[in-house]
Amino acid sequence: MSYKDQLKQLFPSITYDEETDLEEYVFINPKEIVEISKSLKSLHFNLILEFGVENFKNHKGITLIYVFEKADYRKLLIMQSKINNNAESIAQIYPTAMLYEREMQDGFGIEFNHSFDTRKLFLHEYYPEGFHPLKKAFTNAHLKLKGKVSPSEEYVFKKINGEGIYEISVGPIHAGIIASGHFRFNVIGETILNLEIRHFWKHRGIEKCAENKTPEEGTVFAESIGGDETIANTLAYCTAIEKISGIKVSKRAEHLRLLCAEMERIYSLLGDIAGMIVDVAYPVGASQFFNLREEILRWNERLTGSRFCKGMLIIGGVSKDVNSKTLDELGDYLNYFYSQFTNSFLKILENASVLDRFETTGIIKESLVKPLNLTGPLARASGVNKDERICHPYTKIYEQIMNPNKILNEGDVLSRFRIKANTIKNSANIILMIIKNMPKGEMSVNYDIKDGCSCSIVESSRGQNIMFINIKNKKIDRFKVRTASFCNWYAIEHAVMGNIVPDFPLINKSLNLSYEGNDL
Amino acid sequence: MNSFLLFAIANLTLVLFLSPLYISVIKKVKAIPQGRHGPSVVQTYRNIFKLLKKESLYSRNSSFITRVAPYVDFTGSLLLSLFVPLIFIPNNSNTFGNIILFSYILMLTKFFIALSGLDAGSTFGGMGSSREMSVSAIIEPTIIMVFAAVAFSFNSVNFFEIIKSSLLSQNHVFLWLLFIPFVIILITESSRIPVDNPETHLELTMIHEAMVLEQSGKNLALIEWSSAIKQLVWIGIIVNIFIPIGVSTTMQMMALSIAVIMFFIKSLLFVIGIGIIESSTAKLRFFRLSNLFAMSYFLSFITILIEVLL
Repeated sequence: MSYKDQLKQLFPSITYDEETDLEEYVFINPKEIVEISKSLKSLHFNLILEFGVENFKNHKGITLIYVFEKADYRKLLIMQSKINNNAESIAQIYPTAMLYEREMQDGFGIEFNHSFDTRKLFLHEYYPEGFHPLKKAFTNAHLKLKGKVSPSEEYVFKKINGEGIYEISVGPIHAGIIASGHFRFNVIGETILNLEIRHFWKHRGIEKCAENKTPEEGTVFAESIGGDETIANTLAYCTAIEKISGIKVSKRAEHLRLLCAEMERIYSLLGDIAGMIVDVAYPVGASQFFNLREEILRWNERLTGSRFCKGMLIIGGVSKDVNSKTLDELGDYLNYFYSQFTNSFLKILENASVLDRFETTGIIKESLVKPLNLTGPLARASGVNKDERICHPYTKIYEQIMNPNKILNEGDVLSRFRIKANTIKNSANIILMIIKNMPKGEMSVNYDIKDGCSCSIVESSRGQNIMFINIKNKKIDRFKVRTASFCNWYAIEHAVMGNIVPDFPLINKSLNLSYEGNDL
Repeated sequence: MNSFLLFAIANLTLVLFLSPLYISVIKKVKAIPQGRHGPSVVQTYRNIFKLLKKESLYSRNSSFITRVAPYVDFTGSLLLSLFVPLIFIPNNSNTFGNIILFSYILMLTKFFIALSGLDAGSTFGGMGSSREMSVSAIIEPTIIMVFAAVAFSFNSVNFFEIIKSSLLSQNHVFLWLLFIPFVIILITESSRIPVDNPETHLELTMIHEAMVLEQSGKNLALIEWSSAIKQLVWIGIIVNIFIPIGVSTTMQMMALSIAVIMFFIKSLLFVIGIGIIESSTAKLRFFRLSNLFAMSYFLSFITILIEVLL
């Protein structure tokens, strides 16, 4: 019996909606969401996305969409709940829901009952009352900001009182060239008692901007979500559109897409690895990884015409073919890359002063992975085999050619360092296999855009990126993106506890989360 | 010409104009194994010159401490440079050269910089001062121990006499045990890796840089310049105690020129060594610093034992 049917038995008010190979849609009664969440939790389902859509499937108000996944179940369970301006919070059951609910509270003005955190998320306190940019009725116009924020409206941080405890507030303006984020520490001596993160300082309104654009124009929005996740996000976007319109991409294009995705994973993670070594002040060790990263970026330029593979992925395939000579040379380079990388990596592991900084620093416990929906290398370093290339395969190619991922249990900076290195090696092998198996075929196919909605998941270098696209009248009606960073950011709050302040930059870098991917 | 006057002029000129070079040389040495060109060796001069032309901005919450501290630091550093013969040992030098006084002037400059870190009331300044003072407190016994060992070895507490007797006698083999403690002190005092990272832009890991975040313009130039001077003074102490060759005791032109060249070569080689040490290690965890200092304390203690027993 499918999980859908099990739920139907428990909650007769559930009605079935459409179903595809990877998604199951059902309608639920908004009043039952808390009970349904509880039973889903007992079935080991995890909430991975919650968002609102206005004017969806003949419902004038807002439809809340909950996306659930289960470790050994390939399909996504997508629950639709038609509400007006009020809903029950499920943050008590799924802690990550708190973020999504705060996001909707800002975007749509939905009130969540029994929510334990109702602070603003992506809007600043200076925005006027009743400003909810994701509503269809909202149009771009001059905005009159509040002149003054009253004390009751101020964003409140957790404060720990006691003798010798002091607050450090870092950012959103930093001494170096870093993206904007605010970190509020409560510290005793050098030991961190509590950290609270507040992000969303440079909201670009991508979700709103993409509405009423054609799907082709939407590709640019997907590409612009985050520089080092260009391919991951565009792949998720194109997959979603192709699923909606029933477009079949040629085998060659599919292989080329994955080649770019793995190249992106390699250069992204090389940056992370180099960054971690820089943060323990060992630039000599880092420089080899920076060099390799630069070489990969140059290869990207050679393959796609852009160092960050921009413009490569289009709906229906890829925009540029790569000839077999270039592919062979890339294969040779990657063999060289593999040995260079392994050498440099082993040299770092031989350096006692680096290891001393990495070991036991910033531990993320395995028990946090599920409640916080942590994904990617970070989850694999904490003992959970979470990789969307296997858990929710968006292509059949990975199953055939991918080596199993390495899993470590310590959850400290060192294990993240090793997992990231292993992921890089794995990606290099995948590319070599792709080059070996590269089929002949069309670059892209002709297509017609159809209306409909779809949810697609892609493994980016940081973990699970999920995208929901709704097409109405051949235009984008809702463009919802959640990158891995959105959830993974909150892992830092737990990872730093009990560590010392000078180790925070290292812990932060070992996760290297995206500020722009988080703040659309 | 009075020999002490000559000494003062020579030393002040040397530390003022040579010290920024060594900051650049270390950067250059570090850049090479990374495969970078690194900044030009005159970059530190350019930086100081640029900052000297800029105005100093003060926080609204700051008091006279912030305004006074850079000058105290700079004068203190220049004064320190008169304690250590770099190229020339004058005849009459009873007041200057005292090891104890040297340590206290060094502490005085640190004390003022730490106060100025606290003065504006910013979190980072306070954090930097607190860390600098913790590090100073644990390095202080080591400095005292190292100086005591030197004093035992040469039967003197005056740098002039120490270097003079080092120049004349060759029998201080065990003294080389002190080389490591001295290098550790130099690294700590000039805020280098593995103790502190002078090039970091991460506010949360800074020690010395965090204290001077509030400083700007001329004041910052003075602080940076005096750090460079202090570094050169420590380099002078180390190279002249361990390799005194070339230090002149007469006022002859010939001897002085050789002394200048010799000092330049010795200190340059030493600085290159520092650059290599920095390139080969990561920064220590903050609470592991005491281990490093304990090692230098231990080595100084052994030296004293050997000097007393043998």
